[in-house]
Amino acid sequence: MKTFLMILAYIIFAPVLGAVLSGLDRRVTARMQSRVGPPILQPIYDVLKLIQKDSLVVRRSQNFYVAFFLVFIIFTGSLFFSGKDLLLVIFALTLADIFFVLGGYKASSPYSIIGAHRSLIQMMAYEPIIILVAVGMYMVTKSFYVADIVSHPGQIFYHLPGIFFSFLYILAMKFSKSPFDLAYSHHAHQELVKGLTTEFSGKSLAMIEVAHWYENMLMLGFVWLFFADNILVGAALTLAVYFFIILVDNVFARVKWEMALMSSLLVGLLLGVGNIIVLFFIRR
Amino acid sequence: MNLLIFLIAFPALTAFVLLFLKNDKIRAITITSAAAILSISSIALLIINFHQEIQYFSLETHYIDKAMFFIEVLLTIYIFYIGWKYKKYIVSGLISVQFLIMAFFETKYNRDIIVEHVLLVDKFSIIMAIIIGVIGSLTCIYAIGYMKDYHSEHHKALKDNRRFFSFLMFIFLSAMFGIIFSNNLLWLYFFWEITTLSSFLLIGYNKTPEARNNAFRALEFNLLGGLAFLIGIIYLYRFYGVVELDKAIYLGKLGALVPAALISFAGLTKSAQMPFSSWLLGAMVAPTPVSALLHSSTMVKAGVYIILRFASALQGTVLGLILALIGGTTFLVTSLIAISQSDAKKALAYSTIANLGLIVLCAGVGTYEALWAAMLLIIFHAVTKCLLFLCVGAVEHRIHSRDIEDMSGLIISMPKISIMMQIGMVGMFLAPFGMLISKWAVLKALVDFNPLLAVFVIFGSSATLFFWVKWLGKIITVVNQEYDLEEGMNKTETVPLYILAFLTIGLCGLFPLVSTALIQPYVMEIYGMTLAMSQGNIVIMTIMLAMVMLFPLSFINYGKRVKVVDAYLGGANIETGTRFRGAAGSVKDMAMKNYYMEKYFGEKRLYRFGVLFCFIFIISMFMVLVK
Amino acid sequence: MAYLKRSPWIIHYDGTSCNGCDIEVLASLAPRYDVERLGVINTGNPKHADILLITGSVNDQNREVIQNIYEQMPDPKVIVAIGICATSGGIFSECYNVLGGVNKVLPVDVYVPGCAARPESIIDGVVKALKILEEKKHKLVEMQLSREAFIIEPATIEDAAEILALQKLAYQSEAELYNDFSFPPLLQTLTELKEDFKTIIFFKAVINGVIIGSVRGCVKGDTCYIYRRIVHPMYQNLGIGKKLMNDIEFHFGFASRFEVLTGHKSRRNINFYERLGYKQFKCEKVNDKRHRVYLEKIADRIRV
Repeated sequence: MKTFLMILAYIIFAPVLGAVLSGLDRRVTARMQSRVGPPILQPIYDVLKLIQKDSLVVRRSQNFYVAFFLVFIIFTGSLFFSGKDLLLVIFALTLADIFFVLGGYKASSPYSIIGAHRSLIQMMAYEPIIILVAVGMYMVTKSFYVADIVSHPGQIFYHLPGIFFSFLYILAMKFSKSPFDLAYSHHAHQELVKGLTTEFSGKSLAMIEVAHWYENMLMLGFVWLFFADNILVGAALTLAVYFFIILVDNVFARVKWEMALMSSLLVGLLLGVGNIIVLFFIRR
Repeated sequence: MNLLIFLIAFPALTAFVLLFLKNDKIRAITITSAAAILSISSIALLIINFHQEIQYFSLETHYIDKAMFFIEVLLTIYIFYIGWKYKKYIVSGLISVQFLIMAFFETKYNRDIIVEHVLLVDKFSIIMAIIIGVIGSLTCIYAIGYMKDYHSEHHKALKDNRRFFSFLMFIFLSAMFGIIFSNNLLWLYFFWEITTLSSFLLIGYNKTPEARNNAFRALEFNLLGGLAFLIGIIYLYRFYGVVELDKAIYLGKLGALVPAALISFAGLTKSAQMPFSSWLLGAMVAPTPVSALLHSSTMVKAGVYIILRFASALQGTVLGLILALIGGTTFLVTSLIAISQSDAKKALAYSTIANLGLIVLCAGVGTYEALWAAMLLIIFHAVTKCLLFLCVGAVEHRIHSRDIEDMSGLIISMPKISIMMQIGMVGMFLAPFGMLISKWAVLKALVDFNPLLAVFVIFGSSATLFFWVKWLGKIITVVNQEYDLEEGMNKTETVPLYILAFLTIGLCGLFPLVSTALIQPYVMEIYGMTLAMSQGNIVIMTIMLAMVMLFPLSFINYGKRVKVVDAYLGGANIETGTRFRGAAGSVKDMAMKNYYMEKYFGEKRLYRFGVLFCFIFIISMFMVLVK
Repeated sequence: MAYLKRSPWIIHYDGTSCNGCDIEVLASLAPRYDVERLGVINTGNPKHADILLITGSVNDQNREVIQNIYEQMPDPKVIVAIGICATSGGIFSECYNVLGGVNKVLPVDVYVPGCAARPESIIDGVVKALKILEEKKHKLVEMQLSREAFIIEPATIEDAAEILALQKLAYQSEAELYNDFSFPPLLQTLTELKEDFKTIIFFKAVINGVIIGSVRGCVKGDTCYIYRRIVHPMYQNLGIGKKLMNDIEFHFGFASRFEVLTGHKSRRNINFYERLGYKQFKCEKVNDKRHRVYLEKIADRIRV
């Protein structure tokens, strides 16, 4: 029963929270740029407008991929928030993201394909680190289950600082923010036209947006795992992390894919694997 | 036991029959029936032995031993001669050394060797038997149509040697059955060498200088492995007085690891682990059924099979750790190199070596969790890789190219094949399919044992993700594809493909059954405890599989309410929408190529790296033993 | 329902502009004027955009480009011509290469004159455009709803011109399928069509007085030949084609056999007919690019 309620809460509230956070992001960014910025609920208006638009496609089946992306993100988030196996959550997340990338390939346009390739490069860059998060959590709590990790006494962060910071490093990639917004950039960035989402319009674009809200909440959930012991501290720190990502977004310029890939691998190896090595020997 | 002998002897007999059948149709019918019989027999083996524990059999083998020795003499002469003829003196050298040692061993010790059990059958052998019996047979059936096209369309100048080809395929199947059912290590060695020889002859099938060179390279490495195998057996007998596999494993658990190390070395060469990988990569010049059967599903599995047999003995030892490091490094390096490969068969070859590396990693770790993961990997990899190779073969024949860049739009020009390819590719790395379950099990096995080894798996599997999705994307991208290239495909080619695709999905859905029926009992036998996926997770995976299966169904309501427009090309689209106006009024085509990143993941750069590390590991392996 | 005006996404295209108006457009996004507070985002992608802001006039080279971009925008959409060059060609309107303002090529909704137009005028123009956008949305919704009210009735010779226009529009996709535009339905003239009215029965499908579908048939001996089943692209997949077929088959109910034809690559047409009970019986080659497939239905298998 509790599981069911958690899943329902996630399905209903995550997009709302995600939209508000996204709106906050735009508002804070605007303020940092001496502008007023849109209303906080703007992302919701955007999505509701997109639903009313026509759907144009280049290939008839491209929208299916996006629909399944949304479905699987919701599935993944539900798995996470109902306390299931963290590795399985990560693999399901990969599955969802791959549907999105394949949609980009299916759209058969140069911009969407470059976007798809770069998305894949980013996936190659961040996936090791996310799995290292799971491995790190296991080493501390002896379980892969989110339910166990959350109920573990003591702040997990103290055991996993290296992993936490490497996760922070790639969080910018997951949120598609500078310096790692190479693949599918939000809003004002126009290097790739719209990268992966170039050939999507109307309802599918709305679905992509909503799926990203769900995904962002999932990622913030991951952050929260590090601080899960104390709910208030956890929530505050998670929001602080989000703000930090916005700050980094506004301060740094975009990097090239080589830099993105190599630096993440380096960070993953040094901070992430380093943390694991230290833990391994301490545990001995 | 009769069934075991039948499974070994029947393919051999069929092979000889095929050698003399001139008529193509009759040969095709013979192959198909023999294949069917083999499949059914291997499944029968499963059913009969379903509730049995491991069984051993004794046989009166005097005449068989003599016959084997006689055949080995013939083979030695042949290989020596052929090495000499083509100036590959290493080959001749290796085989002479091997023969001398063999002769010495036979004459000195032959009277005294007592073999308690010649054959064995347990769940592991049954799993391998089904793989050989079903997948091997499907490949032989596929080869009928494929080789016909091969000779009539693509290699018209080549002499039609299909009789010899099918002969070799069936001899190979027979030898494989021999390997998995032999408990007598001398017999195992005999069958091992036969697979080496069939591989050599099959790689060199089209008789070009390139093929010939690659065949000899394969022969060199495999003979080296065979030599190590032989020395291992002699050491085993000399110091412990036995030549049987089960006893060798038992002794290994007690600490006598030198034979295990030598035999594992042989396994490494057969499975093309680094630094021995170049033979497998070169072997891709062979016709596709050969690549599918020998070099991905079956023969290379013999290498990991033998190492896995020793898994319980390797647990917690330095030797095990070194083997795990070799496997892990191979997995990581080859996965990275695969990113830069645009030749489809080479990419598949690298992927094969990578997955074998993963299995070797599990074998080196040797815990019950790792063994469970390794068995799952073997099953799923055999099915999926075979499917992929056969699809690539079919595609190659029709688009006349092996390059991934030419496979754009395959979903329109060859819809059925491309869907099966997609199933294969997705089955290699994506949740909820088989390989993902295996990788998950590997991760779980490693975090308990040694998280640092997990690093290899983690970084390697992201690399595999990249190149599979890249390829997958290429197939579904459509730019101006209109025609249907699938006409005229032989049933012998399409039916095995359908069956394999169906198996990939079915096995994935049924994997809990496979686990409880086959894998868990085996692991139980060896360790007294076993890993199983929790009920909750199984349910979740099943739900995921069901949801993924819904995806093709969405095509029924195919794009009803959408408007088709051109891709965005800055407004410069003209004509069909995939061409655009370039500079100075020129007309350009939309062209999209995949990233191969040769600068970072190029073969040249990374390969040396992997060879160096693994070479060091091998040297340390022997140094540890010498102590 | 007023979300279109809360979230207007623009795409900005520069025709032959001197860039003065463009800079003013970008200035609107800058902190001083900050149109993002109105929800405006400058997407560079027509498929994401609602408003097309065009600066500069139209010449031969960018004429197709603008049309391309406009076609790649999803409905509902508006065009705002910014600056006097976009409105009428400005001082360059007499140049040999300039065709004139944007309205020579595309239906402009709002004109924002000026040289260069100030950000305040541009924002004003965008706000006006938003009102028009909402109106267009309402019209679209009405059209979708009113499709329920289509009627099918026999057509008369007065409808010939409308039917011919519809025919040329509807057969575009067929022609593209074979890359063959020399195809009888596209080449038929009005006179020929009017001639046909004497011997062939025409049916039309009408919504709000506008003909959006048609089919024709005639009987020779025992067989009724049905052809040129056309439906307006915007109204396809709504069951109109099927109803047309049913009605004309009913009208010729005395025939014992019906015959239709279509191209060999037109899978959807072939499937459509097969679902209505037709079966293929002949295939003949017309030219290198297409073959014709003939389907027939025997009367007692009629499905209504």
